[in-house]
Amino acid sequence: MRLLWLFLALALLGPWFSEYGLKLASEAFILGLYAMAFNLLFRQTGLLSFGQAAFFGLGAYTMALLVARGGWPFPATLPLAFLISALGALFIGFLSIRLSRIYFTMLTLAFAQLLYAVAHKWYAFTGGDNGITDLRPPGIWGESLFYYYVVLFLFALGVLFLWALERSPFGYALRALRDNRARAEAVGINAFGHLLLAFVISGALSGLAGALQGALQRSVFPDYLFWTRSAECILATILGGSGVFLGPAIGATVFLLLRVVVQANTEYWPFFLGALLLLMVLFFPKGLGGLALEMASRRLKGERRGASGS
Amino acid sequence: MALLEAKDIYRSFQGFLALAGVSLSVAEGSFHALVGPNGAGKTTLFNVITGRLRPDRGRITYEGREITGWPTFRIARMGLAISFQRAQPFLSMTVLEAVAVACLGYQGRTFALLKPLRDFKEGLAQAEEALQKVGLEKQSSRRVSELPLGDLKRLDVAIALAGRPKLLLLDEPLAGLSRAERREMVAFIRELLRKEGVTLLFTEHDTEAVLHLADRITVLHQGRVLAEGSPEEIRQNAEVRAAFLGGGA
Ligand SMILES: Nc1ncnc2c1ncn2[C@@H]1O[C@H](COP(=O)(O)OP(=O)(O)OP(=O)(O)O)[C@@H](O)[C@H]1O
Ligand SMILES: [Mg+2]
Repeated sequence: MRLLWLFLALALLGPWFSEYGLKLASEAFILGLYAMAFNLLFRQTGLLSFGQAAFFGLGAYTMALLVARGGWPFPATLPLAFLISALGALFIGFLSIRLSRIYFTMLTLAFAQLLYAVAHKWYAFTGGDNGITDLRPPGIWGESLFYYYVVLFLFALGVLFLWALERSPFGYALRALRDNRARAEAVGINAFGHLLLAFVISGALSGLAGALQGALQRSVFPDYLFWTRSAECILATILGGSGVFLGPAIGATVFLLLRVVVQANTEYWPFFLGALLLLMVLFFPKGLGGLALEMASRRLKGERRGASGS
Repeated sequence: MALLEAKDIYRSFQGFLALAGVSLSVAEGSFHALVGPNGAGKTTLFNVITGRLRPDRGRITYEGREITGWPTFRIARMGLAISFQRAQPFLSMTVLEAVAVACLGYQGRTFALLKPLRDFKEGLAQAEEALQKVGLEKQSSRRVSELPLGDLKRLDVAIALAGRPKLLLLDEPLAGLSRAERREMVAFIRELLRKEGVTLLFTEHDTEAVLHLADRITVLHQGRVLAEGSPEEIRQNAEVRAAFLGGGA
């Protein structure tokens, strides 16, 4: 299986990275997982959630609060971060999935901003703008190479899960609902139940990504819940191509690399990002992943034609 | 015995009365036609039966159980399947996948998250069987989006049959088909459904086909039942002739 080869290659790459490279690569896996979770909704169900930061942040804060206030060991907080963001998604999804598309998008955004406001104002509990800092995971968990493997392992697990999901009856049912909702319901598919479960899975994986990011940065701030975080997974998805399975992860990697390069040379990162996205949407709507696939298939055809022609 | 019964159904759209007290009883094992001019309310009645629309008043009973207001997916799982007037089954899938996911849908098994669809051998076998019934078995690995209209229509019927329904609703199964395809579809409906004991409620503008297929006809006009009877009775009915056979008959 090609995915397994990819993970193996990434694992072998680990020792060759510098300290900085390990951090950047870990962040790419995290943003990749987050964007792939977003794309489960976007690609398979056609729902555009503009509030994924709610779950990213819930996961991050769950981890941070348990470590800083509860004295939990970092690894033990991950299942809980997963669970709490799943519960958050269950609640928010329950209220927003019944709405028509545009209102769904607006309501997810509203919920995320609400959580942001809470994290921002509730000094006593969340530390407000000061955030929760000094989250260095203990012992080996704080070492970059080991952490790289932790993140890679969870990224791989998440990706394999999404891969299986896409091929399962559940994945097909989501696509049926997206293709023709009335038809899907008329064959016995419970639209609300399926969309809600997809939303919860997406939220839980986003929360896991948030917790991993918090530990990587050793701090969690309210901006984990801010709408720009929600935008990040959308941008990565557009950049990499929502129609390609690994597109969002590719987009996440490119997104981070570009940010490093651009921020080192200019202060116009947002401007640069905006221009790039505009170009992508206008000229390469299938994203970099789609572009790569197209080029590969054209080349394959060219070779075949060449072979039969000679 | 009545398999399906609609009692005094009302439904309006922004003040326009699309159904104004329709009652209908479909006997088990019968082929029941619902006819009437464009806008008579046939599709609206189908939507009320399948739970897509709530009636403003009235009740639907199926197998002796009241199903008014039930969600569509639950009604579908009771063996009440429909093929739509505008057939547009799942365009992103292959033909076999589209029928297989329907199969599992009717059985309430689409919450399986990890096992791939292609390992559901039983569901796939059932899907293949349904495709065979409509004569699409050779197209099973084609993409739905590549099918011509006639095949889409047949695929939609296969999707309806995939759940082995007791009651099948067909909304204009012949619309958009060529003459040859029409003949094929009529023969198919007659033979297959009779053989399997499926009860049929269908709408169709093709009078010849209706008289050929139906053993019971209900005539709908402006949201009301104008007449009901055997094909012979309907043909003789003066009111019906006046209403829309008009000068032609
Ligand atoms: N969702 C809706 N909103 C507003 N009006 C509607 C709606 N659905 C149906 N109608 C109206 O209700 C009436 C009945 O429509 P319906 O589709 O049931 O007719 P029909 O008998 O199926 O006609 P056809 O033979 O053309 O399919 C029509 O006048 C139609 O315009
Ligand atoms: Mg109609």
